Amino acid sequence: MVLSTIVEPITDFVAQEPKIAGLIIGLIAAAIISSVTNVGAMGIVWLERKVLGDMTNRFGPSRVGTRWGILQLVADAIKLFTKEDSIPRGADKPVYVWAPIVACMTTMLVAAVLPWGALNIGGVVYPLVAVNMDISAFFVEAALSLMAIAAFMAGWGSNNKYSMLGAFRGIARMISYEVPMGICVISVAVMAHSLNIVEIVEAQSIWYIIAQPLGFVIFMIALITDLGRVPFDQSEAEEEIIAGYVTEYGGIRWGLLYFQEYITMLLGSVLLVHLYLGGWNGPTIPVITILSPMIWFLMKVILVLVFLIWVRGSLIRFRIDQVTDLGWKWLLPLSLVNLVWAVAIGMYFA
Amino acid sequence: MTTANDVLSALQSAFPGAIQEFRVEADNRLWATVDPNKIVEICEFLRDEQDFDHYSGAAGVDKIDEALFEVTEILASHGAHPVVALLKVKTPRDAPSVKSLTDLFWNANWYEREIWEMFGINFEDHPGLYPLLLVDELVGSWPWRKDFKGYPDYNTNERVLEIINPDGYAEYKISPTEAEIEAGTVPETRPEYPTFREREIMELETESEMILHLGPQHAIVPGPFMLDLKVDGERVKKAYLDVGYIHKGIEKILENRTYIQGIPITDRMCYLAALSNNEAFCGAIERLMEIEVPERAQYIRVILEELSRIQSHLLGTGEFLSLIGGVTYSPFQWMIIDREETVSCIESVTGARITHSFIRPGGVRNDLPDGFAEMTRSALKTVVDKTNEYKELFLSDSMYEMRMAGIGVLSPEEARRLGVSGPPLRASDTPYDMRREDPILVYPDLDFDVISRKEGDSKARVEVRLDEIIESCHIVEQCLDQIPGGPIQEKVPKKIKPNPGEAYYRVEDPRGEMGIFLVSDGTDKPVKVKVRGPVFAYFQALPPLLEGAYVADVVAIAGSMDACTSEVDR
Repeated sequence: MVLSTIVEPITDFVAQEPKIAGLIIGLIAAAIISSVTNVGAMGIVWLERKVLGDMTNRFGPSRVGTRWGILQLVADAIKLFTKEDSIPRGADKPVYVWAPIVACMTTMLVAAVLPWGALNIGGVVYPLVAVNMDISAFFVEAALSLMAIAAFMAGWGSNNKYSMLGAFRGIARMISYEVPMGICVISVAVMAHSLNIVEIVEAQSIWYIIAQPLGFVIFMIALITDLGRVPFDQSEAEEEIIAGYVTEYGGIRWGLLYFQEYITMLLGSVLLVHLYLGGWNGPTIPVITILSPMIWFLMKVILVLVFLIWVRGSLIRFRIDQVTDLGWKWLLPLSLVNLVWAVAIGMYFA
Repeated sequence: MTTANDVLSALQSAFPGAIQEFRVEADNRLWATVDPNKIVEICEFLRDEQDFDHYSGAAGVDKIDEALFEVTEILASHGAHPVVALLKVKTPRDAPSVKSLTDLFWNANWYEREIWEMFGINFEDHPGLYPLLLVDELVGSWPWRKDFKGYPDYNTNERVLEIINPDGYAEYKISPTEAEIEAGTVPETRPEYPTFREREIMELETESEMILHLGPQHAIVPGPFMLDLKVDGERVKKAYLDVGYIHKGIEKILENRTYIQGIPITDRMCYLAALSNNEAFCGAIERLMEIEVPERAQYIRVILEELSRIQSHLLGTGEFLSLIGGVTYSPFQWMIIDREETVSCIESVTGARITHSFIRPGGVRNDLPDGFAEMTRSALKTVVDKTNEYKELFLSDSMYEMRMAGIGVLSPEEARRLGVSGPPLRASDTPYDMRREDPILVYPDLDFDVISRKEGDSKARVEVRLDEIIESCHIVEQCLDQIPGGPIQEKVPKKIKPNPGEAYYRVEDPRGEMGIFLVSDGTDKPVKVKVRGPVFAYFQALPPLLEGAYVADVVAIAGSMDACTSEVDR
């Protein structure tokens, strides 16, 4: 009874004013997504510090917020917010100021179309996605590459030699890896007969990591490149070009750019899980049936994240010419082979 | 095998009358004062006919009593024979000028620049006498001359005033006379030359080239130095190196200290090789005093020096790997952790972790503690195990191979010409090691190999260091087995006053050939100490190595040298 008194006026309102209702729902969704991505990224920073610490026989953060150092990142964020906001005199001011904002917008664009898990209510799985777009896989791929634009804006606007070299490296890397990555997405779409991520997940009765192992490897490498992590972090190689495109940034502007990398890492892992690891698919866990898909989804995402951190701890950085070589001479032809494979296998099982 | 006497007789027959004085100190040391007009011909003869292909350095000495400057050219051979020839050239103090050897030996360049800026000795036909270590303002005051009174005011060119304050301490003040500056009567006697920045900007040719500064504060550098790259996109067209950012004037400081007070100063030249530096300084004093170190002390010295080589190589390799892989690259941290055990072993003897000041003329400061052998053996076992693990790791890592193999290749001829020593030279197929060439202490009694590699690239340099760690462990184990009992300190006078004369003593530093050239006049303070450090030679060789490399490879090449800026500047 009580429930219906709340629900009825809302449904009436939605029926009368669909546009306003859509706007309100959109705003709520935006708030939820931005908090999920940011909290998630904070978790990743903490996870990375702890895992890397373990790999190198250190403790990682262990003081702020219990002995697990959970609040270390909050302390860091407070520090960044209270720092002086300075802009270099020689900088191209609008470009310099807008670069972190473009980076934020990019991540939000991607986060809006990605499903953030699913809930199993009465045997029906409801994906949690803000915008269920028909071409969402392709949209995500395209929007992710906007990050390179933001990095280039930051590098160019800073008017600094290190920044510019970093930005050039970022662009060169992005161009050579977006193509194989796009072809991998197409291969997946061919097999799933859809570009909608939700449908791709639902189509994975066999995970695509098994159906397309080559595609998974290529996509993984291209994804690490897109995220700009070791061994593909040439655009901010601190031993050569200080901090690459973020050299001239300080305070919260630097914090935003830095944080976007971790948000992108989260988005990339989610995308990888959806495309190749079967998303939220998995055997239903009894007792907590409603949360069962969500648990599978989170477990897979964390697994991918730990893998990415592991790679960072154990590999050295490529040179930029080796990166482009690998992209054009190996990954592109192999991704085309994978496309042919996907078409053939897809036809056979269809 | 050629001895010093053979070289001397060859010289005397080829240049009759050119050898004004000579002294054959040992089979491998020849001291000679030669005719200043013939020095180039003599060196050319030695290089071409007598295999003296290693120009090891030059030292300037201010003989103010005789109104003379002496320049001592140190020549040696890369393994053909063990003779070190020290050729002295005298030049009058009022118009000092010596012929430059840069046409014969490429690496004479920096040594001569240093002598020029410090003593004001002109080198005829030198390609570019620009200051190397000094700030531009100090050039022209020739600070290492014996009559240098202090920092001059570069506006008035006046010497500073020495004021004794009531507590008895001396204070130095520059007297700024504004009236003089306003009147424009400031004398300008400084030499005229373009600055470092002007010189490199002059060489920019096209619009697409730019100068990329790595330093003075930069992640690549182990200490402050300026590495400027003329880059076109990602390619390095030319590299320029400017050192002197932490010039401490250690050689001048040593002249104002007694010998014992000088030992801690030598620590500070390079904290990773503090024991080798102690050893070089004390060894030179022992040569002059003609004292023999007790055998037990010799063993203790060898043990400690090899342990310090192990820790230096571990840290050097680890730091280098962090340069190409980022600080998150795990082997970096592992090597630091492995190093701790070795450092603890040294600490248990010397009481210090990096600056030991442990070695004394005629012995060592104290004996090995109880249980040292067991502690060291277990530490060495860990180090050997882990080092083998690293070697296996790097061998199986194809990405490591891609970044390191064929990068910064130094051919054997090139490596000898550039004058590098230590692991970079040995990685270029030249097994040249002071422990073999110029045996000191008990090294001749020990069984060890001189590690070398054929390739001469960054990868080979790391491999040489890792193998040397294992070889050093082997040496330390032998020493622990063989070490005899007995005294650890020869009887020496409380106030050390070596006999008047000169000595040149070489040790194998973790980074290469470290030589100390010591001049004594019989008082308790040295007249001149010249430090011939290995990293000085690496740095000089760095710019030609970097030409044509990628910006990312600059890190792989410069890092693989395992440099220590503190020692370059001294």
